[in-house]
Amino acid sequence: MSTGSSSENFRRVLGRVAPPDFVGRTDELQRIMAHAEPTNAGRGLLLLMEPSAGVSELLRQAYDRIFSQRTEVIPIYFAFTRNETTAVSAAIEFLNTFLQQYIAYRRDEPSVSHATLTLQELLELALPADHEWIEQLVDSYTRLRFSNDDKALVRFCLGAPQRIPPGRGRALIMLDGAQLAEYLNGTVVLGSEVLRVFGRGGFTFVLAGLRRQILEAAHDAECNFELLDMLRLRQLDAKDATLLIEHVAQRQQVTTSEAARDLLVQQFAGSPFFISIFLQAAREKRVALNSYLDCERLYVDELFGGHLHRHFADLVEEISPRLEARHLLIRLLWEAAVGEDQISSFEVWRKRLHMSTGELEEVLHRLHVHEFVNWDGTTVEAATGPQAWKDYLKIRYRLDVLGEPRALVVADALADALKRAPHTMARHYKQSARVSLRELVSAFNCQRVPSVLFDYGSFSRKYKGLEPDRVNSDLDAETEFFKLPQTVHLASCVAFNSDMRQVCEDERCLVAHTFEEGTYSDAQEVVWLIADVESKLEVDIEEARVWYERLESLAASLSFSRFQVWLIANEGFSDEAGSLLSRRKAFASSRQQLELLASRISETPVNPVVHSGEANEFLMVVPMGEDNELIAANTAEQIAKRLTFRPEAINQIKTAVVEACINAFEHSFSPDRKIYQRFRVESDRLVVTISSRGVVPTNLNGASSRPDTSEAAEERRGWGLKLIRTLMDEVEFERVDEGTSLRMTKYIRDTSS
Amino acid sequence: MDKATSGSLVRSHCVGTTAVVYASDYLNKLTGEKIERECRRQLDCGCRALVIDFSDTKLVNSIGVSILLGIIDVAEKSGARIVFSEVNNQTVQLFEMLGLTRHVALAKDEREALHTISGFETSPTVN
Repeated sequence: MSTGSSSENFRRVLGRVAPPDFVGRTDELQRIMAHAEPTNAGRGLLLLMEPSAGVSELLRQAYDRIFSQRTEVIPIYFAFTRNETTAVSAAIEFLNTFLQQYIAYRRDEPSVSHATLTLQELLELALPADHEWIEQLVDSYTRLRFSNDDKALVRFCLGAPQRIPPGRGRALIMLDGAQLAEYLNGTVVLGSEVLRVFGRGGFTFVLAGLRRQILEAAHDAECNFELLDMLRLRQLDAKDATLLIEHVAQRQQVTTSEAARDLLVQQFAGSPFFISIFLQAAREKRVALNSYLDCERLYVDELFGGHLHRHFADLVEEISPRLEARHLLIRLLWEAAVGEDQISSFEVWRKRLHMSTGELEEVLHRLHVHEFVNWDGTTVEAATGPQAWKDYLKIRYRLDVLGEPRALVVADALADALKRAPHTMARHYKQSARVSLRELVSAFNCQRVPSVLFDYGSFSRKYKGLEPDRVNSDLDAETEFFKLPQTVHLASCVAFNSDMRQVCEDERCLVAHTFEEGTYSDAQEVVWLIADVESKLEVDIEEARVWYERLESLAASLSFSRFQVWLIANEGFSDEAGSLLSRRKAFASSRQQLELLASRISETPVNPVVHSGEANEFLMVVPMGEDNELIAANTAEQIAKRLTFRPEAINQIKTAVVEACINAFEHSFSPDRKIYQRFRVESDRLVVTISSRGVVPTNLNGASSRPDTSEAAEERRGWGLKLIRTLMDEVEFERVDEGTSLRMTKYIRDTSS
Repeated sequence: MDKATSGSLVRSHCVGTTAVVYASDYLNKLTGEKIERECRRQLDCGCRALVIDFSDTKLVNSIGVSILLGIIDVAEKSGARIVFSEVNNQTVQLFEMLGLTRHVALAKDEREALHTISGFETSPTVN
């Protein structure tokens, strides 16, 4: 995906690649550009970056675009680098950068942004209109520079953009690499100061950094979150990552084959940072990447002494500056990652690393920020991080801790990488070919689907061997439906129990927390335990039993009171397996059923949005009471008459509408005392939706009604729903957060009540 | 025939010991309660049978139906007969759905209703 400039006046100022070569961040770039709009003046945008997702070029591209637009917005881009050692020196560098870029913009001379200039030289370059305030700024800086108040100096430097006089432009500050600001020495913690200065209002800024660190720092600095927006920056998807490799390889004049490109996308999990430095290494070493062997040789070289090595070595050194402690840390990280128990306590880590509590907290915090571990304050989980990190860790462990010969470690690393490559690709191809279970289940939102899609036995008897078109048309004629719950949380079962990793891939066994009818109550809460069982044939009874019991046991260990097991297998289940699962009320589906379910879910509109402008839809709001349900009923009558409903059916619709309105005002305790009605005319039906705000009456979600059980007058109330269900063809409660929304459908072809 | 009004805008009159009460065009909670009150008043005045006439009634809601069931209960407890007259087809369907027709006789019109009542009165009581 390209984000080429649409402006003929576009000039490259800071961008390292031409706009057509900048791929995969179109939405993010637009979001930053939108942040420069006047409506966002005074607001901050936090770019929460997944480690190694890459953000610098995105900000530089944004800078160039804003620079080229020549509006009142003056872009300022500042990257924290490892070259700065103290907060004071970084803050001074910020001041210098700010003035340089401000003057470059005001003079409309991009070259000023790159020049090496002193403050005095910058002052001489300032436009006459800016000279006075910049001179005052420089004088103030000079006075503060030689005082002993570091904090005041840092705040002065960071706050310089606020000194731009009105009418001389509005700065958009883009700060890159905020996490580095944490590691600076000195008495001032620059990371906090940056957020303290920028996050408390007045500035328009973009702050990019590691997602775990930025949010925590914003809280620590007591930022005004009402003035902060957030944008999450993840790795590129496979398509964009492939495009990135093509562009970078062409730019770096590195020959690549399609197979090699696909491997690199998977091996680096779409990370723009890893991909870019890897291709840079290929250019530097003049290596063509035509085969897996080419790729893995370079990869291993990189891990042992190239850009990848330097990247991880710098990080580990930052995290644990002392050499001895670093070796212990590498040992512990590797052993924890490959050991049976990947989660261990803080105390275990403290003892193994021989660190004080404070020191270990510092180390763990940094590891956590870089997502090399998950640390919750009590326990530490080590099996995280990208593949390149795990490989680096293993290499360092063998070299530094075990002291193995380098040649042996290199040979093993290369062999391992080569052996892993085909598996990596096979997993990718399998995932690409199949419906994403995660996407499917996360899309559950009270859609009605044929029940047979969850019953392999019935499906097999009815549909096996039929042409796909016939299967679809016959499914359309199914009369038994199952209403899916609403998924509110979905995670791999491994996230609940790491032992499950031994029996399944992360994405093939899921735990979904759901609510039936989208109603958030204990009674409607059901946890779905879903497993996609690997099998080339129909799953037999033994395997079905093992999987059912495995998931049942998981449910018991997690105290899930209501759960639903759903097993999926490519070719379905044997008759005996199907019977067993049926007896245990588990769902069973084949791959074909799963795909049919996915296509039906994607077709089913969920909570259709009200388009009042649509010609076939009528909206009406009436106050509750005063027999206003008659107004609704008469409206329904007039609309139904336009269709070809029989008089009897029209009366049934009217009665149902009256009952729905009565239900709304009898039960809802509505705060606005209004009934919202929508009449939607379709070719073969009339759909009436009656909604109200307020509480959801407990008797409305179930199908049960009370008239047959009691003769007391009060208990006769509640007949309304039974009546509606009798009079209309389809009756459904739609999910709404507050109150109720009852959708009733009457088909024109219907000949009975 | 005695003409009477309850003062609550429910039209009614008596034919001998039978009270004929007229339901309005929309039978809901409010109008249902008015009918109930009128029926109770008539029973208190010594009526031995009730005819509720639905000739004007176009729409009945479920609350109205539940009140009618209450009236049937009251009439039964008083030993009074009750007949509904001139109920339109849609309302009959509604009464059937909610089981009302198990407890009350339906008549084509007021005349037939009065005839039915007189038939009750001449029939021997079976214990």
